[in-house]
Amino acid sequence: MLHVAHPRRFLAPRAVALRLVALALGMLILAPSMSARAQSAAVPPAIAAPAGSAAPGAAAPKTSAASPAPQAAPASAPAPAGTAVSAGGAPESATDTRGLDQDIQGLKKDVVDLNRDLFVLEEELLFPANTQVAVFISMDVGDFFLLDAVTLKIDQKEVANYLYTPREVEALAKGGVQRLYLGNLKAGQHELVAFFSGQGPHERDYRRGATLKFEKGIGAKYLELKINDRQRRQQPEFEIKDWE
Amino acid sequence: MRLLVLMAAVAMLATQSVEAARPNPEKLPPTHIRDLHYGDVLFYVYTDDDFEAITRLNAYEHWNLLPHHEPEAQLLLGGLYLSLGLHNEAGARFEKLLTPDIPIGVRNRAWFYLAQVWYARGYLERAEHAIREVQGTLTPALDAEKEHLLANILLRQGRFDDAIQLLRGWNGPADWMAYARFNLGVALIRAGRLSEADPVLSAVGTLTSNKEELLALKDRANLALGFAYVQADKPQQALPVLGRVRLKGPYSNKALLGTGWADAALGDYRRALTPWLELRDRNLLDSAVQESYLAVPYAFGKLAANAQAAQYYESALESFDAEDGRLDLAITRIRDGKMLDAILDKEQGKHYGWFWQLQSLPEAPESRYLYAVLAGHDFQEGLKNYRDLVYLGHTLEHWSGSMEALGDMIDTRGRAYAERLPRADALLASGAADELQRRREELAGRLNSVAAEVDVAALGSPEEREQWGQIQRIEGLLASAPPGKETDEYRERLRLVKGVLYYHLDEAFRARVWQQRRAIKDLDLALVEAQNRWVRVQHARKSVPANTGEFSARIAALQVRIEALQARLVSTQQRQNGYLAGLAVAQLQEQKERLAAYRVQARFELASMYDRAQDTEQTHKANDAPAAAPAPATEPKP
Repeated sequence: MLHVAHPRRFLAPRAVALRLVALALGMLILAPSMSARAQSAAVPPAIAAPAGSAAPGAAAPKTSAASPAPQAAPASAPAPAGTAVSAGGAPESATDTRGLDQDIQGLKKDVVDLNRDLFVLEEELLFPANTQVAVFISMDVGDFFLLDAVTLKIDQKEVANYLYTPREVEALAKGGVQRLYLGNLKAGQHELVAFFSGQGPHERDYRRGATLKFEKGIGAKYLELKINDRQRRQQPEFEIKDWE
Repeated sequence: MRLLVLMAAVAMLATQSVEAARPNPEKLPPTHIRDLHYGDVLFYVYTDDDFEAITRLNAYEHWNLLPHHEPEAQLLLGGLYLSLGLHNEAGARFEKLLTPDIPIGVRNRAWFYLAQVWYARGYLERAEHAIREVQGTLTPALDAEKEHLLANILLRQGRFDDAIQLLRGWNGPADWMAYARFNLGVALIRAGRLSEADPVLSAVGTLTSNKEELLALKDRANLALGFAYVQADKPQQALPVLGRVRLKGPYSNKALLGTGWADAALGDYRRALTPWLELRDRNLLDSAVQESYLAVPYAFGKLAANAQAAQYYESALESFDAEDGRLDLAITRIRDGKMLDAILDKEQGKHYGWFWQLQSLPEAPESRYLYAVLAGHDFQEGLKNYRDLVYLGHTLEHWSGSMEALGDMIDTRGRAYAERLPRADALLASGAADELQRRREELAGRLNSVAAEVDVAALGSPEEREQWGQIQRIEGLLASAPPGKETDEYRERLRLVKGVLYYHLDEAFRARVWQQRRAIKDLDLALVEAQNRWVRVQHARKSVPANTGEFSARIAALQVRIEALQARLVSTQQRQNGYLAGLAVAQLQEQKERLAAYRVQARFELASMYDRAQDTEQTHKANDAPAAAPAPATEPKP
């Protein structure tokens, strides 16, 4: 049987994933070079072949293995995939295989839903809305500051100390907003102090702080640490925003 | 955020030209984070942690924390489902979400990616439905991908005429055209139209390029056409075509084998030996190489070099036996069920998701065969599912442990509540808050009367009030004292002292009234806070038992769900493991069967040769004895 061919960039997995994200964010499609890189990253070429693309030799008629000369034709034809006896003993027919895929999808969906319910339970139990305080961090551009770590103190007590990986810094630079700290505070006046460490302009070590006094009321309190680039001063700027 | 900058840039352009202000049909507007929690979901999307992202997105939606990002959140959710391999769920969501309100470019891309996933998973009808939802004018690159995908769907469905019609009429970018023409050639061959396929595949097979991708495609085109000619019994036409395949490329083994058979079909066995002998030194895993082990002695036999032919058959049998033993060992190991765990143990990084490719194989005897197995589409897709199941199993295990901790926490809370309950009840029964409020009212009333009556002494310091009291007592004594000069002097001195004290008290009176009113205001604040706390304590007194009970019930229900899912997961994982092991074993079994067939042929040939040799010997002897008749020669059957 002849198989069809695909360009190597066809269905390149990571490229599709990125495109989906781009799609959801309303961005443009990525350049094909992205997929080319994804392809070359895989070690054995046969393994790297995109799903559905032909493995080496698949372009030729399948009878090539059994030579076209009748004298050398093998006695038995190859068993079709999916009809083999499974190692467990019971065979999975082609229909069962699709059924199995459906079962797996159903199972995955149930686990995703369960995970949501568990996450909801955990947060409602540990951080009830009336005492909840969440501190988020966001970054704008980040040309003048390469974030390395953030330390948070609430009412002079250290509550978080986070070291960033390059991937996380990249995620912040792309527009992600990390929920850095989630805790409980009683109603009343409080003080948040954040220390940012990293590399500032001219690749110098840079450490700055920002402070905010805030009132914790009955509902959940959200605070945002913002790292901005001040183009005019060619310096980073750190501020804390109280989300009412 | 960069998206904010993008937004600002868009706004700037909009002020500069009316054209720029028009909505772009190709894109959703750039995202400006208006709900922090949506940004948090994006953070996990950007760090490639799709499972955490989808969990948070679902939870934040549950709490209604994403009111400003509802449409994007839904699209993102669809994308995340797709990324986790839940293509049916993603498809159902896209069906609902991709309404005409969504920009057409966005809709097209969503349908297109969904079609790709369904195609990869073998849902060809759904893939075709999705691809046909892509409408309007597309960018050349996307249009090329779309047409290519549709052609592949048609070919895999065996609808060759439809594929031919589609591919003939399509014109796109140069690199895509090469693939389109190749697939057209394949479709023509499959439709039995070899003469039409020749110019198409020859065009691909003779194109000029330095790109490895296109060079491989060239080889495939030549191989396909060459074998089609060999099968059509046109070896003369096959030879130049197969000769165009590179000697060192991934398709060279099959091309060498085919060249040999084309030569053999023309009766030139000496010439056929050249490619076949070259093949014998190559990897025995390749079926073309295995076949050359029989083809070489077959050619020697045809050339009447029986000694060499026998030697090569013997050598082939040895190689086939050794290979068969190795295959048995590999099948046993795969059937032990450890193959998948060994494969996945080597993998680093993310442990789930549809957008994944295996990077390396374990160092095990069966690994050399697994390359071929893993190249299979079904196995790759199945392995992704298996890997996801393993990850989900770990997740459930983790949650199962957390449930115990959460249950303990609820118990501890319950005990702490029971301990504090008597104190809380006593406090609530005391009516302390109301008493404090009553005392506040009383104080405020007294201050009002002091202010109204200008009772300056009432607000004096303790010392002043003491002095004022003494003055009043002395005044009383002097009132009953006998008249006289001395008494008058005392009265006069007392009047002066009283006047001075009153002067001081009066001077400070207004400030003191203000201070007292302020103190009452401060007291009011404290009282409000106390009353709030009082209300919270009252509320907690009522709600904590219900809360604790509700949490306990939720935990119990979730524990049941976890256990049920764990059981389903184990059984599904076993089925998937069995299915994948079955695929691998089937492939190896296929190799074994092929080897067995080759062994039978080799043994038969050897036996025939020995028979012929014996017959010849007997003929020679018979020739010496004139009565014996010559035995008929048998045609070798490789």
